[in-house]
Amino acid sequence: MVDLFANLAHGFVVALSPVNLLMCLIGALVGTLVGVLPGIGTIATVAMLLPITFGLPPVGALIMLAGIYYGAQYGGSTTSILVNIPGEATSVVTAIDGHQMARQGRAGPALAIAAIGSFFAGCVATVLIAVLGAPLTKLALAFGPAEYFSLMVLGLIFAVVLAKGSVLKAIAMIVFGLLLSMVGSDIETGASRMAFNIPELADGLGFATVAMGVFGFAEIIRNLDAGAEMNRDLVQQKITGLMPTKKDLIDSTPAILRGTVLGSILGILPGGGAVIASFAAYTLEKKVAKNPSRFGRGAIEGVAAPESANNAAAQTSFIPLLTLGIPPNAVMALMVGAMTIHGIVPGPQVMQKQPDLVWGMIASMWIGNLMLIIINLPLVGIWVRLLRVPYRLMFPSIVIFCAIGIYSVNNAPVDVILAGVFGLIGYWLIKHDFEPAPLLLGMVLGPLMEENLRRALLISRGDWSVFVTRPLSAVLLAIAAGLLILTVLPNLRAKRDEVFTESES
Amino acid sequence: MADTMGQPATATRNTRVALWILVLALAPQIFELIWSIGTIVGWGSGRGPLQVLVAHASALLAGAPGAVFGSHDAKKAFPPDVLLALIYSYPLFAVAIVTLFMTVRSAQDYVGGIVLMALGLFALWASSDLQGMHGFSFGAGTAPRMFGVLLVALSVAIALTGLLSEGAGLSHYAWRGPLFVMASILFFALAIRPLGLVVSAFTSFLIAAMGTHETRWTETVIVGASLTLGCALLFPYVLGLPMPMFPRFLVQ
Repeated sequence: MVDLFANLAHGFVVALSPVNLLMCLIGALVGTLVGVLPGIGTIATVAMLLPITFGLPPVGALIMLAGIYYGAQYGGSTTSILVNIPGEATSVVTAIDGHQMARQGRAGPALAIAAIGSFFAGCVATVLIAVLGAPLTKLALAFGPAEYFSLMVLGLIFAVVLAKGSVLKAIAMIVFGLLLSMVGSDIETGASRMAFNIPELADGLGFATVAMGVFGFAEIIRNLDAGAEMNRDLVQQKITGLMPTKKDLIDSTPAILRGTVLGSILGILPGGGAVIASFAAYTLEKKVAKNPSRFGRGAIEGVAAPESANNAAAQTSFIPLLTLGIPPNAVMALMVGAMTIHGIVPGPQVMQKQPDLVWGMIASMWIGNLMLIIINLPLVGIWVRLLRVPYRLMFPSIVIFCAIGIYSVNNAPVDVILAGVFGLIGYWLIKHDFEPAPLLLGMVLGPLMEENLRRALLISRGDWSVFVTRPLSAVLLAIAAGLLILTVLPNLRAKRDEVFTESES
Repeated sequence: MADTMGQPATATRNTRVALWILVLALAPQIFELIWSIGTIVGWGSGRGPLQVLVAHASALLAGAPGAVFGSHDAKKAFPPDVLLALIYSYPLFAVAIVTLFMTVRSAQDYVGGIVLMALGLFALWASSDLQGMHGFSFGAGTAPRMFGVLLVALSVAIALTGLLSEGAGLSHYAWRGPLFVMASILFFALAIRPLGLVVSAFTSFLIAAMGTHETRWTETVIVGASLTLGCALLFPYVLGLPMPMFPRFLVQ
């Protein structure tokens, strides 16, 4: 416990240095902006800003990127409530009740509760990272290659369970992602794999390139399908009275608590993340409510729970990255990229070798959350005005910014073309109802999985039973198998579909 | 892979789907043929178009059937063209023929499954020249082949659900957005080195703006110019990323 406080204090010293405070502020502001603007997501933004962090010190760079991630969770709620356009996938469910509240003239309390819930969840998650960090790092030392492999299988199965739509399609997307990750040189033998003698492919497909393609370009092309003029049902009247009433506070407190707990858990699990956390929290609220019919008509719990959950999940998803070195979702995978750029290998050693980085980042999250709650409520007016920028001007800007961003990662024009190709692939995937998120997760975990699989089999002298004879690995695989069976069972499947149809109702 | 994108917008009849699968089955060969045209004017290296045509035609018509019926010398490895025909094209031909006699209940799932299957088969072919298991250690090709087989199996299952259960048909593809956004990206990639950031960013902005008919040109030009200016200041100066700013012939 003493250690914990010493560490946190150290972290605050790092995070409170002027440069890092500025980075935190920039990250939080950019994140909010991204969250507010629909049509540009967190993944594309973090990928776009990766090259920008080249010139920054590593701690500042990671503080900024982390700020973007949780800042986007705040920003997304603003547009969901005021305009009924979720700026982020994580705020889709917030729009259901939040916009109804805005229509009843209660936009102020809705925004305030969303901010308060997010702040509370952010605080809890920050403490959770600090508390769980050290013990999990110890656990990581007990992990051999077999355990790592099984853990990643579990993570991928989670991604399948949590992806919406067909289980089969989600698994296929993961395998496709694994295959994509194998393009390039083999880690052990150096043999060129599936690169067709194209020198640019010898190094493999860049993760940022693929992410920008399937999440940035594909999204733009898809939005253009519907025509650039989106229907913006803006709540025009001035927002008065930010303060929620006493009743609002009493109603939303348990919802915030439940959302925070649920979000924290789903964030830690590999394959989870902020999107699923908000959906799950909304469903839970509806289940425990005495009068579920209020939901969809402006129930404040419907705003409080998902907003707390997505913010908690956004932060706790740093735990597996910092302790085990396994990115649990696509944004975290990009963080791995950012760390690698600065010569930091994520994993159990980071906590010991880079205390500045880890604890500085953790402390900055709390500071960032504080900044967000202070700057966001007064800035609501500005964010809303930004939404009046028509999409016909916004999308070419995003295209150019993405293109410059990809080019500057490696100074390679081929990367830009590849991102374009993946944009088309992503568009096709959307049209055929394939989810791109599992694909990216597969691509992220591919090299790690293959490496550990090969190492485990080498150590066991080719004996595949090593995965079930080592206790930890066996437990992880058993959980994965159990989850998969449960998902396919018709009973639970109906429930899962119910969770995901929430957004359309 | 880009050439697998052109799925028909409203394919309801099976013959059309089957024809598209046929094209898909020959897509790598066609792609190499188009690519090889560049060698005539001296771009890139590789086989000339005539060589490509003869090699693939003989592989498809003679080499692969010969291999199937055992006339091939078992000790010699198959040449890659024959392998491509064997691993990739023939299975897809079979699928195309089967498609003709099937009722497709959900074209979205069916076509999606088939295209993924093609990708899986293609990966199998692409990793066929790599070393496999030796002893108990993995070769370079073991994992790609493992996941390739897995992808083919999964996509067959997806295609089967498209045959067995009702579902969505093919959705409509717009052409304007994808075309101009892709053109803009392509132009940027080709122009950034010779023409520099200022010219390529501004031109790409204008090309991308053509992606919707709602564009109003005055505001687009103004926004494009200010965005270009902003990027020209942000990337090279504020962030210190090396990037050519102006066309090469002007700087010299």
